[in-house]
Amino acid sequence: MGELIAVRRRLVLFFGLFVFVVALLTTQARSPDRRQVGAIGTTVLAVLLPVQTGMARVADGVQRMWSLYTEIGRLRVENAKLREALDGMGRRNAALREQALAGERLERLLGFRGQVGSRSIAANVIGRDVAKWFGTVQVDRGSRDGVRRNAPVVTADGVVGRVIEVTPTAARVLLIADSRSAVGVVVQRVRDLGVVEGRNERVLHLKYLSRTSDVQPGDVVVTSGQGGVFPKGLAVGRITRVVREEGELLLEAEVEPAAALDRLEEVLILLPL
Amino acid sequence: MSRVLAYTGVLVILALVQVAWLARVQVWGAILDPLVPLIIGVGILKGAESGAVVGVAAGLLQDLLSGGGPLGVNGLSKLVVGFASGMFERSIYIENPLLPAIATFIGTLLGGVLLVIVALLVGLGVPPWPAVVARMILQAVLNSAIAPVLFRTIRVIETRFQREH
Repeated sequence: MGELIAVRRRLVLFFGLFVFVVALLTTQARSPDRRQVGAIGTTVLAVLLPVQTGMARVADGVQRMWSLYTEIGRLRVENAKLREALDGMGRRNAALREQALAGERLERLLGFRGQVGSRSIAANVIGRDVAKWFGTVQVDRGSRDGVRRNAPVVTADGVVGRVIEVTPTAARVLLIADSRSAVGVVVQRVRDLGVVEGRNERVLHLKYLSRTSDVQPGDVVVTSGQGGVFPKGLAVGRITRVVREEGELLLEAEVEPAAALDRLEEVLILLPL
Repeated sequence: MSRVLAYTGVLVILALVQVAWLARVQVWGAILDPLVPLIIGVGILKGAESGAVVGVAAGLLQDLLSGGGPLGVNGLSKLVVGFASGMFERSIYIENPLLPAIATFIGTLLGGVLLVIVALLVGLGVPPWPAVVARMILQAVLNSAIAPVLFRTIRVIETRFQREH
């Protein structure tokens, strides 16, 4: 009996609430906005909305922090990729610049090749004498390319030296700055003959000039063609200092080499006709 | 009276958390609704009357706070869910976390179906059926995951007030 009353009470409560909510819904559905909060609802909202707003702000802050965090991660990945790309471009740029410079040098060498009367072959410097900086260099052309001993080696700027050793694929060049080197020259302006010798220094020494010679610093020195190695008229260097010693019959001068002997990369080997 | 206040407090807190925070965290369109396991838990532990009262209160509060829709859409569906779960009063062993989870899964699906029916009756737009069904199942899974915690919360409240009396 008690159970029955309890069930009935339960059902009455349920249907009562059901009808209440359906009535509420019906009135809501009929209203233009389909929503009427009413006085009780407004009071509840007046209390809870500020709390809800505060909570929403907290959520906004967390969301912003999260977005920032994910953005930082994304930017870090992007930054690493861009750095990698930049490094790659830097390497590529350096390689291209190197190629451009080599191109310029080769272009000058090619132009000079046209001016030289004899046959010639271009060669790359592949080694240097590390013990004596201004001694010898090795080039990648040899007897297979027609290179012979004593062949003159030049650049577009001037005389470099002569070949002293030849293998089928390479050759060793004695630079004019080497103490074993001597080149017959003529001072271009005054036409006085002399010999330029190396002393394993940056400068060359012009010897055997007549004491009466009017050589001046700045005078250009070219090959005389009398030594039997170098053809006539190749630039050797420029006089930087004239040495007149008391009692000496002959003059000496210091000559700055025309070719950059410490920065050789490509050279021209003159071949016999 | 203080028990009513405790339940009201839990209800209000959960409703606010759901509307202000959980509604932002959608899992493939589904939103966790902690009020559903609470209603089912109250129904199972306290009976159909309590389930119905807490259900209608929770639903109306949700309608009020979530804004936009007419009052009573959630109220009606949660009333039925709360009352229906009361039919299984004390027949589910809540110490086993699986049973509250299963009850919540079924209750969430029932609530979802009712919500769609009410929404259709009052002329609200309902998304395509496949999407609705997928969301319902996902929400049921999410709600089931937190059901053991909420059932235990109800148990704690009940134990405390039983000791006081």
